[in-house]
Amino acid sequence: MKSTWRDPSEKTLAWLLLTPAFALIALVVVYPVGKLIYNSFFQSTGFVGWQNYADALQDQEFWEAMFNTLGITLITVPGALLVGLVFAMLANLPFKRKWPVRLALLLPWALPLSFCGLIFAWFFHTDYGIVNDVLRMAGLQEPTMWLLRPGWAFAAICLTIIWKTSSFMALILLAGLQMIPRSLYEAAEVDGATPWQQFWQITLPLLVPSMVVALIFRTLTALQTFDIPYTMTKGGPGSATQTLAMLIHKTTVDYLDLGYGSTLAVLMFVMSLLVTGVYLKHVGRAA
Amino acid sequence: MKNLWTSARLRWLAAAWLMVNGFFPLLWMVLTSFKAESELVAKPITWWPQHATFEHYVGAFTTQPLLRYLSNSLIVASVSTLTSLFVATCAAYAIARLNLRRRQWVLTAIVASSMFPIITLLVPIFETMRSLNLLNTYTALVIPYTVINMPVCTLVLVSFFQSIPRDLENAAMIDGCSRVGALWRIVLPLAAPGVFTAGILAFVNAWDEFLLALSLNSAAAMRTAPVGIAMYQGEFTFPWPVISAALVVTVIPVALLIVFFQERVIGGLTQGGLKG
Repeated sequence: MKSTWRDPSEKTLAWLLLTPAFALIALVVVYPVGKLIYNSFFQSTGFVGWQNYADALQDQEFWEAMFNTLGITLITVPGALLVGLVFAMLANLPFKRKWPVRLALLLPWALPLSFCGLIFAWFFHTDYGIVNDVLRMAGLQEPTMWLLRPGWAFAAICLTIIWKTSSFMALILLAGLQMIPRSLYEAAEVDGATPWQQFWQITLPLLVPSMVVALIFRTLTALQTFDIPYTMTKGGPGSATQTLAMLIHKTTVDYLDLGYGSTLAVLMFVMSLLVTGVYLKHVGRAA
Repeated sequence: MKNLWTSARLRWLAAAWLMVNGFFPLLWMVLTSFKAESELVAKPITWWPQHATFEHYVGAFTTQPLLRYLSNSLIVASVSTLTSLFVATCAAYAIARLNLRRRQWVLTAIVASSMFPIITLLVPIFETMRSLNLLNTYTALVIPYTVINMPVCTLVLVSFFQSIPRDLENAAMIDGCSRVGALWRIVLPLAAPGVFTAGILAFVNAWDEFLLALSLNSAAAMRTAPVGIAMYQGEFTFPWPVISAALVVTVIPVALLIVFFQERVIGGLTQGGLKG
């Protein structure tokens, strides 16, 4: 059959339909990454070679931001996984009506990260926050200055991130739980396996694929943590809770130092690639 | 142990715990938004508003241009949802249906583009938009949002297209319909639930986005609602009741979407998450 412009051949049509998607990816993802790497070798004075990278390694603020980012990642990713697993197991109980529980898991996902930051900043307010009110009722007389002390502010941010992300984790794991055939449990019961054994021998191994995917996405977003610390503490007190993403944002948008901002972004980019690689290699093999 | 796990009491306890965890933070903001100023600075704090007042909802709209923020959010989120649906529909149809070699490779490339950290793209996007004089315009946000949402929309749509029997299209084409015509008249109407699901996910993502909106559209008149509300705090003041009221108003549209389309949202999320 001869193809016309109204009825192009299948192959032509396929590439025609894919053009907008790839044009946009090229424009908004590929070109920027190239531009980013190029920029990272320049300062306002011109080409400087590896100078920006050397500066970053000497920069106290960079290392502090790096330390905070990695700390948040190492605490909130396993934290959200554990809480999410508990929530998923609970939500998988045979409820008569499933929608209220599901809605309770969906709402934190739908809430903007920046709003979570605002809400929990109000929760952790030293004088009028509900957290200190509950602690006071529990008998703790001295109010904790949550967001005004470096360690406490960091803890408050981690708790907020775990709250926000554990529900999404639970939804993914719940979908995984529902795919496990019931017959496996029935067979295990016939063989006399305790619920504890069933959890370790059936549930957990079969959940690994869901967990790997959820963990990769969660780790990548944890490395980019921005909204919650920005709205809770603005990186304070001082720069005690500033993350790498916040430092990149400040350097680029506030100081308009595009060269150094790009350098920091390249380092972040390399870190994300490493994480994806490590996960796919080690965790993926175990799955 | 078995009795405990299947007991009704455990089920009630589990449901209560999940509900408190999910609803309490937002509920607390609703309560805060109805408390009078004097009540907020009373110690010890009160849980239930003593004299419920509606003034902060009025204040949220009169002391700050909240209506403007909301309409900015609505425009940016709606337009970027439509554009990403258009691009994703084209790509997903090509991947699901057409005789394409390396289709898995094409899908992987599209999905991989969502793995790039937005923060690393911020610097060049900011620079480009600045040199094109596009900072503080809707375009500045619509273009990146379209790309951010396209991968997940494509994933959801590919699996929907694959579930539609090929025979329907073939029959239409035998009857003289062109392939594009078959896509438009036969496949799309059947895939409407999938398009709708992808659309909700894209809309919520765009409605909630903070970093790009904060960096690219910082002028007061162009802020989206999440950015605008985060800016309510002054140097030393934190107008909590007004912030709570504005926040509750902004969450309502998204909350309604997930209440009415819960099943679809969960289906879309787990599909995107599990296959990604």
